Amino acid sequence: MASPVPAARPTAAPDPGRRRRRPGTGRRDHLVGWLLVTPAVVYFAVFLLYPALSALYYSFTDWDLRSEANWVGLANYADLFTDDVKYPHFWKSVRVTLQYTLIAVPLTLGTALAQALLVNAVRRGSNVFRLLLFLPVVTAEAAVGAIWRWLYDPQYGLINSVLGLFGVPPQNWLNTPELVIPALAFIAAWQCGISMIIYLAGLKGIPASITEAATIDGAGPVQRFRKVVFPMLRPTTFYLLVTGVIAALQVFGLVYVIFSGGGGKGAAGGPEQSGLAYVLHLYLFAFRYDAMGAACAMSFILLVFIMIITAVQFRFVKQEAA
Amino acid sequence: MVRRTRGALVAAAMVAGLAACGSGGAAEHGRTLTFWTFQPLTPQGGQILERLRTDFEKANGVTVKLVQIPKDDYNTKLGTAIASKNVPDGGYLDQPLVSRYALDGTILQVPAGTIDEKEFYAGGLETNKVGGRLYGVPLDITTVGLYYNKKLVPTPPRTWDELKQAAESVHRADPKTAGIVVPKGDGYGAWMWPGFVAGAGGTLVDEKAKKVTFDEQPAVDALQLWVDLLKSSPRSITDADKAFENGLAAMTISGPWDISTIRDQFPDLDFGVAPLPYKNEPASNIGGENAVVFTGTKNADLAWKWLKHLTAPDSSVALAEAVGGYPANIEGAGIAAAKMGPEHAVFIEALKATRARPAVPQWIQINDEIIAPALESALTGKVAPRQALSEAGAKARTLLGWNG
Repeated sequence: MASPVPAARPTAAPDPGRRRRRPGTGRRDHLVGWLLVTPAVVYFAVFLLYPALSALYYSFTDWDLRSEANWVGLANYADLFTDDVKYPHFWKSVRVTLQYTLIAVPLTLGTALAQALLVNAVRRGSNVFRLLLFLPVVTAEAAVGAIWRWLYDPQYGLINSVLGLFGVPPQNWLNTPELVIPALAFIAAWQCGISMIIYLAGLKGIPASITEAATIDGAGPVQRFRKVVFPMLRPTTFYLLVTGVIAALQVFGLVYVIFSGGGGKGAAGGPEQSGLAYVLHLYLFAFRYDAMGAACAMSFILLVFIMIITAVQFRFVKQEAA
Repeated sequence: MVRRTRGALVAAAMVAGLAACGSGGAAEHGRTLTFWTFQPLTPQGGQILERLRTDFEKANGVTVKLVQIPKDDYNTKLGTAIASKNVPDGGYLDQPLVSRYALDGTILQVPAGTIDEKEFYAGGLETNKVGGRLYGVPLDITTVGLYYNKKLVPTPPRTWDELKQAAESVHRADPKTAGIVVPKGDGYGAWMWPGFVAGAGGTLVDEKAKKVTFDEQPAVDALQLWVDLLKSSPRSITDADKAFENGLAAMTISGPWDISTIRDQFPDLDFGVAPLPYKNEPASNIGGENAVVFTGTKNADLAWKWLKHLTAPDSSVALAEAVGGYPANIEGAGIAAAKMGPEHAVFIEALKATRARPAVPQWIQINDEIIAPALESALTGKVAPRQALSEAGAKARTLLGWNG
């Protein structure tokens, strides 16, 4: 973590006689540097590194939070993958999460980009629109859950009434297994405010001269978007894609709130586990079924999976602006 | 310097004097008991807890520190506290957790003579027993009953056949109205289902014989009843928000907590409450809170005394009011029934026939991960009830390591 001193580099010391200490490289300055980063390092060690390492250790045990943890080797990992009595919904939760990610991430990015383009085009009062579009992000998760349960209500829901205008028969959104994930992804897309702001920043970063040049060359709005704006937003899109996938794979709060119903009825994964997100499944085993060891194993499986997915994205998705 | 020393001496003497004044000579004196409770749902509930606390403090010259935690977070927080060896002296404990905590030595066995078992409802008491030994005391218990809309169902059904007929006639008269909100195959539905199984004379497991019984005929009948009811109670109607309260469903199954909510929010709804319909014998499920003392406490004697105080008839009435259930103490329940009105009296009567959940440590997992999905697969029509339950039974046997 600490940057190496220039003197350590072979090229920096051609003549021993000239190895005079320059400001910023002395031992004392090292100390000051360390002092300055100490809060961050301590925070990292105490709240991230230590818990992560203990979780790794506990993933090899049968820990239940209360009694002594017994070493079980790879049993948790093996059982998660193969034992469908102990973990009947593990693979289901994997499928649910992948489906959710595949729908939610493109939908969120698309919505965010569309909103950013609209807000960017507004001449007056863009602050107001920015605020309105950002509000879903800062709304408490519990309120979001309650509102969307109403919107999706099979009898009174606004969504069904609107669809009814176009002749679509009413759907039982949150209680039909096939519709649960699209319904959840739609909520996620509605909460795309942060991505929208980042896209907006990206749009502002495109020099007006380039789009003007394209206009003079005869490019219409669609062509300008396809040939100029979108390619220039590529670093932004890449960043949002990577972070979006990571966030989607860890979706928890929304699903927990939508399906827990409140009142101590406990969290469940929706009809036929159709909304059983991976982290919700993990949470249930950690805190409801007393299988903290297995839950730790699940979290490491997720970590490795996220690392692989991210590496794949870095390898195969174009990241530089064209 | 001298002066300052003298000042300190005076101060020390004064403190000592004060301490001496407060001393009543009792063994408990000056001790502090830490007790975790669920956060009461209303400010009044909080005042009741406060009163129970000060009464006890005054009578015993001790301090009771009540830590109130929202129910939804309670088990998580408790687990964390235990893991970090930061355990309170005592606290509430969800009924199905008692067996788990007892078997791994997290809670203490109740010393003989702490409570008189005859004073409590068998169903509530049973939720504290593991292998015949008592590990906690029942504070408040609750159960579910049948809510019915008096306009649509003039006389409440008593039996399953009457229930089916009532639901059918409602739905026939108006296809937009459902007969009854049929419970879902989720953890909550699986919690209510045993009341129906018991109504057909069945049980879920036999802990002594290590035998799974929720795949036997009574359980199959109970699930079949739910499946049959769906014909006159389509989900497309009953999945609406508050279908019963809004008059979309003529009946629903719920607990006493809904009485005041319906009165407040739907004052025009003319509803009644009846015991859960049965096939062979009246029966119902059970929920509620127990109190336990944690291993490692230095105040076990004081903690038991506190729990004795909480479960006495008068306190149990107050406490049940604070948390929204009924006293587990039979005398207390009698007082509550007289005080709370006819709908509550129906639930309190039903407490006699409640059955405890199986006292096996994995029960929550079996309830949520095995029984609930089995119920749901039958309710969605994917699998016949008998097959769904026999598959679930096989899974439960594997998980429990039982042969029967």
